[in-house]
Amino acid sequence: MSSRAKKSLRISHVGLRGVVGSGLTAAHVVDFSSAFGTFLEAPGPVVVGRDTRASGAMLREGVVSALLACGREAVDLGIVPTPVIQHAIRRLGAAGGISIGASHNGEEWNALKFFGAEGTYLSTAEAGELLDIYHLRQFGFAEWTGIGKLRLETGAIDLYLDALAEVYDFSAMRDFRVLADCCNGTSALILHRVNERFQTDFILINERTEGVRFAHEPSTTQATVALQLSPLMKPLQADAGFLFDADSDRVAMADENGAPVSEELVLPLIADYLLPRSRGRIVITNLSTTSLVEEIAKRHGGEVVRVPVGRHSAIDSLSFYRPEQVALAGEGTGAVMMPQFRFVYDGIASMLAVLSMMRERCQSLSAILASYPKFSILKAQVPLVAQRVPALLARLRERYADGSVNAIDGLRVDWPDRWFHVRVSQTEPVIRVICEARGEPPRDLFEELLEQVRIA
Amino acid sequence: MARREHLLKIGVSGVRGVVGEFLTPALACAFAQAFGSYVRGGRVVVGRDTRSSGEMLQHAVNCGLLAAGCEVVDVGVLPTPTIQIYTGGTGARGGIALTASHNPPEYNALKLFNAEGLFFNRYERGELIDLYHQSDFQQAASEEIRGVICEREVPRKLHIQRVLQHVDVEAIRKRRFRVALDAVNGAGAVMTPGYLEESLACKLEAIAVDPNLPFPREAEPGPATLGELSELVVKTGSEIGFAQDPDGDRLAVVDETGRVLDNDDVLALAIDAALARVPGDVVVNLTTSSSVDEIARHHGRRVWRTPVGEANVVETMQAVNAAIGGEGANGGIVFPAVHLCRDSYTGMAFLLDRMAATGESISALSARLPRYYRRLGKAPFEHGRLGTLMQALEREFPQAEKDRSDGLKLTLAEGWLHVRASNTERLLRLAAEARSPELLDTLYARLTKLLE
Repeated sequence: MSSRAKKSLRISHVGLRGVVGSGLTAAHVVDFSSAFGTFLEAPGPVVVGRDTRASGAMLREGVVSALLACGREAVDLGIVPTPVIQHAIRRLGAAGGISIGASHNGEEWNALKFFGAEGTYLSTAEAGELLDIYHLRQFGFAEWTGIGKLRLETGAIDLYLDALAEVYDFSAMRDFRVLADCCNGTSALILHRVNERFQTDFILINERTEGVRFAHEPSTTQATVALQLSPLMKPLQADAGFLFDADSDRVAMADENGAPVSEELVLPLIADYLLPRSRGRIVITNLSTTSLVEEIAKRHGGEVVRVPVGRHSAIDSLSFYRPEQVALAGEGTGAVMMPQFRFVYDGIASMLAVLSMMRERCQSLSAILASYPKFSILKAQVPLVAQRVPALLARLRERYADGSVNAIDGLRVDWPDRWFHVRVSQTEPVIRVICEARGEPPRDLFEELLEQVRIA
Repeated sequence: MARREHLLKIGVSGVRGVVGEFLTPALACAFAQAFGSYVRGGRVVVGRDTRSSGEMLQHAVNCGLLAAGCEVVDVGVLPTPTIQIYTGGTGARGGIALTASHNPPEYNALKLFNAEGLFFNRYERGELIDLYHQSDFQQAASEEIRGVICEREVPRKLHIQRVLQHVDVEAIRKRRFRVALDAVNGAGAVMTPGYLEESLACKLEAIAVDPNLPFPREAEPGPATLGELSELVVKTGSEIGFAQDPDGDRLAVVDETGRVLDNDDVLALAIDAALARVPGDVVVNLTTSSSVDEIARHHGRRVWRTPVGEANVVETMQAVNAAIGGEGANGGIVFPAVHLCRDSYTGMAFLLDRMAATGESISALSARLPRYYRRLGKAPFEHGRLGTLMQALEREFPQAEKDRSDGLKLTLAEGWLHVRASNTERLLRLAAEARSPELLDTLYARLTKLLE
């Protein structure tokens, strides 16, 4: 293992994440799950599920043990997508849930994601409280008479599909030939079942989920789409291609010509579909996501609210509005949440939204995308030297004083046709640099920024 | 300031404690990971008794074992001897049973077995505990993590088959014994009814055979706790009654009149049955009745005495290649031809075999045992007082033969006395035995006077 992997453990507001063995250990899993069992106040069971990683078997045992010790009934759904876990939490009236899986990270990683009642992500305040309980290590274990029991539940995927079928017409999806790169993740389980139940024609690749290594990293980026999905689109005469991360909460796309679509376009595309059919006018996204979102929102009289990067910031922001005020929320990573599904990042629902849009408009994916103005985004990351960050941000702010400044998460500076965002990652020890312009990529600005971030 | 009560013991015998505040999932997980590192990966068998904390702790143990790169064979709820026999017979690197045996239901413990399904020897146990304290665990990377396999039927078949090789099964089956059972809703509940009814063709009257219910009586089977079984035996006209502890390693017996037999007598009957079948000596602990000496002498065998504790008895049994051994007071019978572990199933088979072979009732068989009178007691333990007490005892009985290998045992012409510190509780355990009730009273009174 490299020294990088040794420092892989990350315990933060986002939860617990690391390379199994060298960073993330059984002890972390048991303690953090014990903290979550202590943190939960509402009565009811706790739902558990995991993605397809080999280490999931180990994490699952630790999670279940801690929940039972805290006096909770644990309902294990087995290997299922994260949105299925969130759906089950609502369906069962559970107190909360834990999703075991490192979504877009490589197979050597694993992580725990925590959900409250109703299957929602934890807010910043809740995540902070959970973290404090973890660090205090004074857990609320039940006495011997109050220890919980484990219940295995099969069929959660079908109940989740029932809920999706209330919003989307699966039988209409038969018109399409859809190619899906499941990255050996949980989306394969869903899409197999969709084919069985609705006689759809989803062609799956990297669909084996047991006892296999990931064919490639399950990251929902344009670059990963280009690996295996894109080259197969034309030979298979597919109408659209979708790539899912291991726990199916994110999606990336290829068009019918095999062109990989930028992950930044998933949110604007779904916004374009949902805004005209939604009472909500607000689109919540983070500071690092493409300006095309504003462009699309403007077309439909919508309004974009920009928040710091991270799931909990989106959740904090959602709490400012009534649910019916919000049309959708999402980020430029291919993670989108919609009000019909109680604001849960859901790659499968996102795919269905895109397919429904193609069908209703009788347009190909490439034709829909061609109707959008072109934005070019550049992204890079630079190793973090934490103590130099404040000086770096101050210097950048001074240097780019002619733009409009937003400093709620690192530094974002906007000019009429371009912007940049420099911030410290919450999941990795890096500084992220993102730069976007209308039209051609802003290479000069990007290089200039990178140079300054590197010497910082 | 008074020290806060701590109900946890981590030592060479493993981990034992009250669940909740003391025996936590983190502790069980870490100890299992130490164990998995110590046996260097491979297959590890995990099972448990029926305690409410068993399922929770089993997942913690599974987690620690998987994290160390082991493959877990989950055998679920099973008696401890069954888990040990299966561990030894399946090519596993080791086994873990989650059971606090005869302790109250709020307790649980990890019992650890090696590849042969035997307790680790004291040196291995020392190494393991050092490894645990150093947190020097094997940390399997993702591709080295294996899974959990469930195995429910094979272990119990293997165990029953091993036991039945050593008795006359046809003779027992032919008698269609009327048998009563109290399995304390423990691990025996999943195996004993089938064993008695199907394998041994007994007509069974059973109570406390629901593994999902709490223990209905005190966990340790003995005269004070088996009132219901005695009643059942009398009411149903059963020829014998068996009682198990929660993990099915200890056995107590009720005769056809409803009287609970002295556990030392049960062991003596089993020793008699075993020595009639296989050659070898006898190993018992210092507190076991002198009746076993007479029985061994009758078969031309000698008796070896060890400190109290199953591990001590088993270690000596291995060293002298014993035919049978056990510990009187706690109902433990160890018959190595089946497995070197305490096994109530062997005990049941031996007693039914004797009844079938002789045509005699269990009360008649026990009445023919050499007659001794015993008394067991306990006294509070205070640090630093034991030495003074031992010296006073030696002065009180200057003519006695002394054994200092576990506390102090004094053997006199009229009987013996044994005083020792408990391994599991802060108590002094007292035992006395004599040829007559009067001699016993005098002997015991002299002991308790010194304690005042």
